Amino acid sequence: MATGPTYIEVLDEGMGEFRMPDPDGYREWVRDHKSRALASKLMTAQEAVSRFVEDGDYLAYDCNYLQRGPSTLIREVIRQKKKDLWVAGKFTWVAVHLLIAGGCASKVDCGFFLFGKAIDRFVQERRVQIFEYSNVVMTLRLQAGAMGVPFLPVRSFGGTDGFRYSGAKLIRDPYTGQSVVIVPALNPDVALIHVQQADVYGNARVFGTGIAHQETAMASRKVIVSAEEIVDSEEIRRDPGRTSIPYYCVDAVVQAPFGAYPGECAGWYASDPAGVIEVVVATLTDNLDAYLEKYVHSVANDQEMLEKHVGVAKLLEMQRRVASKEGYRP
Amino acid sequence: MTRATSFNEREMQTCTVARMIEDGKTYWVAGAGSPLYAILMGKKMYAPNAQYITEDGVIAPEPLLPFDPIMSMVSARAGYRALGWATMNAAGNHAQVGLMDCGILNALQIDQYGNINSTAIGTYGERIRRFGGPGGADSIASLCWRTIVITDQEKRKFVERVDFISSPGYLDGTPGARERAGLPRDTGPWRVVTPWAVYDYNEERRLRLIAIAPWVTVDEVLAECQHKPVVADKVETLEVPTDEELDMLRSQLDVAGQMSGIERSGWIIWDGEKYARQTES
Repeated sequence: MATGPTYIEVLDEGMGEFRMPDPDGYREWVRDHKSRALASKLMTAQEAVSRFVEDGDYLAYDCNYLQRGPSTLIREVIRQKKKDLWVAGKFTWVAVHLLIAGGCASKVDCGFFLFGKAIDRFVQERRVQIFEYSNVVMTLRLQAGAMGVPFLPVRSFGGTDGFRYSGAKLIRDPYTGQSVVIVPALNPDVALIHVQQADVYGNARVFGTGIAHQETAMASRKVIVSAEEIVDSEEIRRDPGRTSIPYYCVDAVVQAPFGAYPGECAGWYASDPAGVIEVVVATLTDNLDAYLEKYVHSVANDQEMLEKHVGVAKLLEMQRRVASKEGYRP
Repeated sequence: MTRATSFNEREMQTCTVARMIEDGKTYWVAGAGSPLYAILMGKKMYAPNAQYITEDGVIAPEPLLPFDPIMSMVSARAGYRALGWATMNAAGNHAQVGLMDCGILNALQIDQYGNINSTAIGTYGERIRRFGGPGGADSIASLCWRTIVITDQEKRKFVERVDFISSPGYLDGTPGARERAGLPRDTGPWRVVTPWAVYDYNEERRLRLIAIAPWVTVDEVLAECQHKPVVADKVETLEVPTDEELDMLRSQLDVAGQMSGIERSGWIIWDGEKYARQTES
């Protein structure tokens, strides 16, 4: 009955370096390393990053430093001076810049990040190699990783120059005979995900929209979840439909109040506009070393940072300024 | 509706896009700035049953205004009273199956076939000025049935070929180029809107000037295009903003005055006979 071509023909391909997909290798990692036991994974940010982020890892974070992202965890990665990370720089503003300025990241897959003097200098000085994708192409790569398949066909990205500097290929689809782009699955070594609530086992709840927290948690070898609030597992069982990420994807649970600072965590607190502007300006004007000294290196952890550089008055004000709790609270 | 007598060119641009919003259609809009203001103004004033999504998966919200001036997506204000909260892959897939009628996005640089650059100015791989990458724009430009691009009327922004195609227009302009590259059939650029002009695309998929603001001439617009677009046989004159539109824009949307504060953006005054651009003396 087959009428079209029955083989896949590669018509064109990008020249970008990428991590070769290895679905069976990933399955074996999951078999050997992901605990299925209902055991507490609660630990500090310091311990989680020390145990699970290794030099040379491919690192993905969900959301970003300014938008319900794992800002506490990103600061801790920089504080521990992790090296040679390859970062999924999608849907982001300043996080990739902070990681490059901190000496942590040497490769970035770009979906979107903030322009400015810092990134211009990093590119000119070849401190970072950038490979080109788009936000959705990156989340679809994570989707493929989360499905345990080696690649995924996508209907965008074709014809762009991003394609040329990526790991994508254009193929003739053996079913329809038409051109379609395929992108390589992404299975990050480590994922940082900030959520509103989690239990000690890692059952996590995201309230509001998200970028790819579920796909990222399923696709990543090591998953660190930070949560505004640790809730009892009985609370999770009372409303199972609310569970965004199931426990067996998660390797570490970190209680991180104001863990998205200076960004907003919807339903919990509004952003700190001055704090947002401070890091954005530092990125635009290439003054990230001073920013990192103040918010990362001069303090032992985020609690000390919040005490010294933010203060209770501002934190309470951020809580008061919550725009709406509708849908953001159980 | 009263024609305004004093407004900024950026405000005019947003009002022009707002009037293109069609009732009952779906829009995938870039999650900040002019695209978001245009869809909200369009919904509130002309097309109450137009709906929009943003790339973080907000579906048909009734946002709490004004927005946080910097970060709108994944925020409680932007997602307020949505019909659904999803994820980036959901938004992308909704567009990929054809649910999004029109995309609205900003561009750093655009070429004669509507290709968009938001990645790098200069020769890629050599000395460049680096920009942020396509973000969601590549998916918007690939997957929505049609696309409206908002950009500046500046010589360096309208070029023969963009330095880097971040988001696809008609690519090399040949028939079927998008389909050969794997993009969905019958999609592509539809309008480009600047503070001075509106463009569509002719049968050869080339940018074509179809309307200008009342305070500029066709030659003045063409002087601000490094690569000269096709000019339509009849070039229409754009309507200026109304007081009602400006009232909404200033009091509910652009409350921080980000549009009117932008450099290189002139103020337009009705001098009793005509609209004239105020230049710094």
